[in-house]
Amino acid sequence: MTTIVLAAVIGALFALGTFLILRRDLIRVVWGLAIISQAANVYLLAMGGIAAGTADSVPVLAGHGEHVPETADPLVQALVLTAIVIGFGMTAFALVLSYRVYEEHDTLDVSELGDRE
Amino acid sequence: MTTAPLTAMPIGTESQLVIAPMLIVLVAAVGSLLLGRRPRGRIGVSLAGGAAFAIAVAAIDWYIVLAPDAPGIATYQVGDWPAPFGITLVVDGLSAFMLTMVAILGIASLVFSTRVLPELDRRSYYFPLFHFLALGVTGAFLTGDLFNLFVWFEVMLMASYIFVAYYGGPQHTRAAFWYVALNLLASAIFLLGVGGIYATTGTLNMAELARRIADPVAYGIDPGPIVGLLAMLLSVFAIKAGLVPFQFWIPTAYRSAPPQVAALLAGATKKVGIYAIIRLSFTVFGDAQIAVSLEVPGVGAVAGDSPLAFVGAALSVMAAASILVGGIGAVGRDSLEGVLAYSSIGQVGFIAVPVAIAATTANPTLRHVGIVAALVYALNHTLAKGLLFLSVGAIRSATGTSRLADLGGLAGRSPPLAIAFFVGSLALVGIPPLSGFFGKFLVFDVAARAEAASVLVLLLVGSLLTIAYVTRTWNLSFWGARTDAVEGATADAVQVGVVVVLAAAIVAVGVGFEPVYEFADAAASAALDSEGYREAVGEYAPTGDQAGGGHE
Repeated sequence: MTTIVLAAVIGALFALGTFLILRRDLIRVVWGLAIISQAANVYLLAMGGIAAGTADSVPVLAGHGEHVPETADPLVQALVLTAIVIGFGMTAFALVLSYRVYEEHDTLDVSELGDRE
Repeated sequence: MTTAPLTAMPIGTESQLVIAPMLIVLVAAVGSLLLGRRPRGRIGVSLAGGAAFAIAVAAIDWYIVLAPDAPGIATYQVGDWPAPFGITLVVDGLSAFMLTMVAILGIASLVFSTRVLPELDRRSYYFPLFHFLALGVTGAFLTGDLFNLFVWFEVMLMASYIFVAYYGGPQHTRAAFWYVALNLLASAIFLLGVGGIYATTGTLNMAELARRIADPVAYGIDPGPIVGLLAMLLSVFAIKAGLVPFQFWIPTAYRSAPPQVAALLAGATKKVGIYAIIRLSFTVFGDAQIAVSLEVPGVGAVAGDSPLAFVGAALSVMAAASILVGGIGAVGRDSLEGVLAYSSIGQVGFIAVPVAIAATTANPTLRHVGIVAALVYALNHTLAKGLLFLSVGAIRSATGTSRLADLGGLAGRSPPLAIAFFVGSLALVGIPPLSGFFGKFLVFDVAARAEAASVLVLLLVGSLLTIAYVTRTWNLSFWGARTDAVEGATADAVQVGVVVVLAAAIVAVGVGFEPVYEFADAAASAALDSEGYREAVGEYAPTGDQAGGGHE
């Protein structure tokens, strides 16, 4: 069940991100990129798999003697944490850059920015 | 250099040598960041960092790769976490060769940079960014972990984003925005590939990956998806290398960045893409036994028992298109940077052709020669294109323009610059006795050995296009009547000096080609020696339930 929900969420996020990237407004393009980065992160988590926690994978939780919930792969959690930080920095930079584009061009409309040459 | 026994090494052990270049660059970056209010101190720290980096890379080359009793490969486990749990840094012949290339160009560009825009630097953090760019490139060459490679790519890109937007004018911000957008998308695709590989094999350490892929049954993994995931990664690396169809960002970005940084983008970051393709295809997935059979338009049926068959087919199409697009595009540009940017696309095609042949062939000798040819050509491209971009920087500093229409008669104004530019151009064309001749010769040799007539024709066409655009550029900017911009210009002595030194390096590589060839030979052996790579990083006993990433 978890797998199906995750797959649907990842698909929806990629679809939304792609839709936003194809918009004419630069800010929406940045949001689209941010959403695609997050979709990649959710995908990473799903790839690591969601499994029953064991004493090996989550010693902190297993040490309680209580019921251990399902957890994502700890290695993947570390990777995603790194990717989130990088993605956040990139998004912030892209937003600042769009502001500078607006200052230089007085527009955020892709079609008015001229061609890319 | 003396052949002292390794116990008497002046600096630590080989293992500590591996991390030295990264630490040096990091210290230089942070140091120059802290000296923001003292431009002279900042330049001093930068130059000292550059010199230390050169010494570290030379020590790595000698003690780990080239010395008679050198081990050929050395590893450093960061934080003493054993592989495959920790991050491993690995230096072998391939990394060392690439690092050496980047070190030569990086230091030339650094010295050049000290004479450009010193007043701008106080506000713009040029030197710290320069070092962070070098840090990203160095890390990418040294890391032995796939996710860590992603992180170093990002470090490298962060700095390059700012350089593309550096002048802050309308066209620069626009170019930077599309450059950022494209690379953010590429990073997401990289993550998808990495995630897929983790789910398939249960590890991201390159040595451990190679071990599991070579023996999927013992580790209980299904290697089928690897081909598609490798294709994903290949497209990301092709974006970095600027191979067609991912070349569209290059002209805009290279025109927008300061010329001395464009030299690095063309000479160093492009080579990171090439390096990643070689490392992953041959060292990591070289021993994989996966049946591949697919139809590729224009190539025909691709079949083989390893993902390399697919890599070879995809690369040959991309390389062929790159040579044509780059060559034809470069003939009609109206500015020096435009010519050089398109020329870079074509030249990377020349580097990718022997790699593609090496991946396609089943003959181990030809495979080895193919990698050697690619490395020698990459070295030549780094030196020659770096020299030409730095020349453009010198011309822009002197005349304030790089448009071909506004230039003319530069040869008479600054003969040393003209001679250096001439040498760089000839190296691109491949005239003996310059480094370019051996690069071109080896690439043609590989194509001839592979008996690929169509490839030979393509290489000839590419070479003719190179001659065409190099001649046109030379005639329009250095020959002819002097224009007003050139008449009143005086070139900066240090800038011209750097360019002349690079020209001398190109001649030196060509004249003393023997040791260079041996180095490239060692690098190719290292790239193909998956076994040695795995052993050096360390054995790890499988417990049986590690693989599969929780998909059972």
